[in-house]
Amino acid sequence: MRKYIFKRVIISFVTIWVLATIVFILVRLMPGDPFSSDKMTPEIKANIESYYGFDKPLIEQYFTYMKNIVKGDFGYSMKYVNQSVNKIIADSFPYSFDLGMRALSLSISLGLVFGIIAALYRGKQLDYVCVIIAIIGTSVPDFIIGAMLQYFFGIKWGLFPVAQYQGIKHTILPSIALGFYTMAMVSRLMRASMLEVVQQDYIKTAKSKGISKFRITYKHQIRNAIMPVVTVLGPTVASVLTGTFVIESIYAIPGMGKYYVQSVQNLDYSLILGMTIFYGAFLVLANMIVDILYGVIDPRIRVSGR
Amino acid sequence: MLKLKKVISMFLAMAMCLGMAACSTPGQKQEPVKPADAAAETPAETAPDKKVLRYSLLADAPTLDPQLMNSIPSSTVGFHIYEGLMRNHIGEIQPGMAESYEISEDGKTYTFHLRDAKWSDGVEIKAADYEYAMRRLVDPATASDYSFLVTSLIKNAGDINAGKMAVEELGVKAVDDKTLTIELNNPTGYFLSMLSMSQLCPVRQDLVEKYGKDFSADADKNVYSGPFIVKEWKHEDRIILEKNPNYWNAGEIKLDEVHILTVADPMTAVAMFEQGELDQVNVPAEVLENYKDKVIYYNDGANDFMKLNMDGSCELSNKDLRLAINYALNREDYILLSSQNLYQPNTRYVLPQVKGVNGDYGDEYPYEAFPLKGDAAKAKEHLAKAMEELGVTDPAAIDVELLTTDAERTRIEAEVLQNQIQTALGITVTIRQVPYKQRLQMESDHEFEMVVTGWVPDYPDPMSYLELWPTGSPYNHGSYSSEVYDGYIKDALTNTDPVKRMEALFNAEKTLLEDGGIVPLQLRRNAMLINPKVEGFETYFVGINYDYLYADIAE
Repeated sequence: MRKYIFKRVIISFVTIWVLATIVFILVRLMPGDPFSSDKMTPEIKANIESYYGFDKPLIEQYFTYMKNIVKGDFGYSMKYVNQSVNKIIADSFPYSFDLGMRALSLSISLGLVFGIIAALYRGKQLDYVCVIIAIIGTSVPDFIIGAMLQYFFGIKWGLFPVAQYQGIKHTILPSIALGFYTMAMVSRLMRASMLEVVQQDYIKTAKSKGISKFRITYKHQIRNAIMPVVTVLGPTVASVLTGTFVIESIYAIPGMGKYYVQSVQNLDYSLILGMTIFYGAFLVLANMIVDILYGVIDPRIRVSGR
Repeated sequence: MLKLKKVISMFLAMAMCLGMAACSTPGQKQEPVKPADAAAETPAETAPDKKVLRYSLLADAPTLDPQLMNSIPSSTVGFHIYEGLMRNHIGEIQPGMAESYEISEDGKTYTFHLRDAKWSDGVEIKAADYEYAMRRLVDPATASDYSFLVTSLIKNAGDINAGKMAVEELGVKAVDDKTLTIELNNPTGYFLSMLSMSQLCPVRQDLVEKYGKDFSADADKNVYSGPFIVKEWKHEDRIILEKNPNYWNAGEIKLDEVHILTVADPMTAVAMFEQGELDQVNVPAEVLENYKDKVIYYNDGANDFMKLNMDGSCELSNKDLRLAINYALNREDYILLSSQNLYQPNTRYVLPQVKGVNGDYGDEYPYEAFPLKGDAAKAKEHLAKAMEELGVTDPAAIDVELLTTDAERTRIEAEVLQNQIQTALGITVTIRQVPYKQRLQMESDHEFEMVVTGWVPDYPDPMSYLELWPTGSPYNHGSYSSEVYDGYIKDALTNTDPVKRMEALFNAEKTLLEDGGIVPLQLRRNAMLINPKVEGFETYFVGINYDYLYADIAE
């Protein structure tokens, strides 16, 4: 197990290095440059380029950047000129993480419950209710759900604040809006997986052994059915926790998602790079945790046995 | 069956536990949800005796470092926290840090006498703080993109900015603690009106050196000379300004606090206004219909027009073709279709609201270069001439590319323009959409044929628009070149007689339009809702968009 984790960590670092290199090249290939503005003159542009070291050869810039990353320094944003990328991430990530955790705990728990209920009551009314919720969740985009929740619960009925992230009350609507899709996805996956597992021989064996239905469901069916859900959770967790542009915009939350999208629009090279590397590292970490979790949940693929 | 219910209830209980755990753990440990913010949760109830103004921005101010500011939201905040030598209060020049000033006979040297005043940390404000700030603005090492404000204005600023001269050579000198002289290249009537721009406001050398790149990155990493100080700055969330007790004119400032919230979605901002969480909001065009009777319109100075490339690389070098396009457009229809009449159709170049000799330029020099509804006959006439000169028989053979950005609004604008030009003239117009930053670069690289672009003034004078088009100007992306035009501009730069100067500027504007040098399109307007309790919330179109210096909240 320890050897496996060690190997995974090494691979992760290589992945992130490759990611950083590709993105470093790609941002430079994008047409336009961060300093273009209506009022830019060639002299002033030259000053700014030399300030950021853009007058040096690209390869030199690359090595400087990589050296700084190793030191944990992502440099300064080119749009938010006095803000270091590290500071922007440190300021904005907690909001996205907090919101994401709320959304995930809500969506995963409810998604599992709905999926299990739907599977157990297959073809009955409860199943249809769950399936309809799941279909709405997967097909209605988050900006519509977000705006509708805001309109009805915030404006029309005044039950929750319209926007901003100030206290528990402010977190409820964005958490639901953000988690709705994940909930629907988890419930659909769980339902399908439950129905598949119920066909398995070991369930029949358990039944024929006279084990109680509760025990079969709890010990055999759910435990086996949850595997596909765990698989998709890695990337989902990473993307939900690092923020989403739409929900953060609608609810005026100062999270990472907004910065990420805006940094691309602004061609804010250092911010794009910093955010991508941070997100990439997060994704790699989440996937690694999921892989390790497999072993915990499913003895058949316990990696230490390899 | 019973067991099943058990299972379900167990899961539900689990789910609730999970949900609740999530609601308590990260929330209370994480920074975002601090109990200290609880007061802000119900903004209506924040200490009733405090006068608080609340408005929102679509994106956070990129910086509050005065010399590095390069956006209207930033400089609007800057206007209220930094004190320039003079104050430009919606076009009226009031004394700022300078109690009095003298102008030399040739109009080129200004001597300012500073009043006794203190920074927000109690340190005395000195003339050297202004000298340092202006040197810092033009110093190439600062890499400020707004150094262009003064590069041709203040003596030696251009050479210093280009790295050809030491920064100490700048024509700004602190004679003693309370006297500052500024030498200009030309007598410049509007110079005083520029002095409240944040870029020309003082900074403290000791703090710039102490914080380096982080100077002004947070509320506590700078000190303030203006009517307000930055009490709190939560990036992308809120800037909270508080009345500066050390401000020299603190008696005139009535607001206790200003809350500037970042709300990226304009519809959310409208909703927050409706809920009483904001005192002012701009209504997006899509829902303007619902608020038609309640909104107040204001121009933000942005003037949209098409630049045409005249460097010989395309048919637009032909003057008659340019005029044909200008006459072909029905700008009233264009505005209705592209902005639901939020913007105003425009057929001249200089913003009418800028200062003329005594009043507004537009009132003193009324002008309509092309009929608002267009003139099909004249368009055809010019087209025929153009075709003859270009040697084409089929108008469709004339193919021009219309460059614009990839936003939804600009796409609609371009489609309306394409349709009107093609229908009226029969020439071919191809639309090309690129990201905003790419459009800017293509413009400055002269890689376009026709581009929808715009300009906002930096000082309330026609020159702020007209300085774009002299031969060789760095902003002359269309390669417009006219000796007549250049002559008028030269005259305006050196003439000390205000009436003659203004006439020269008007003649320059007319020349540009008669040559079809640009295609004027629209003046941008905003429609705002404002809490009726707020008094004295002013809008302006140069450098800043709001002026709430003397605003008040009625009881």
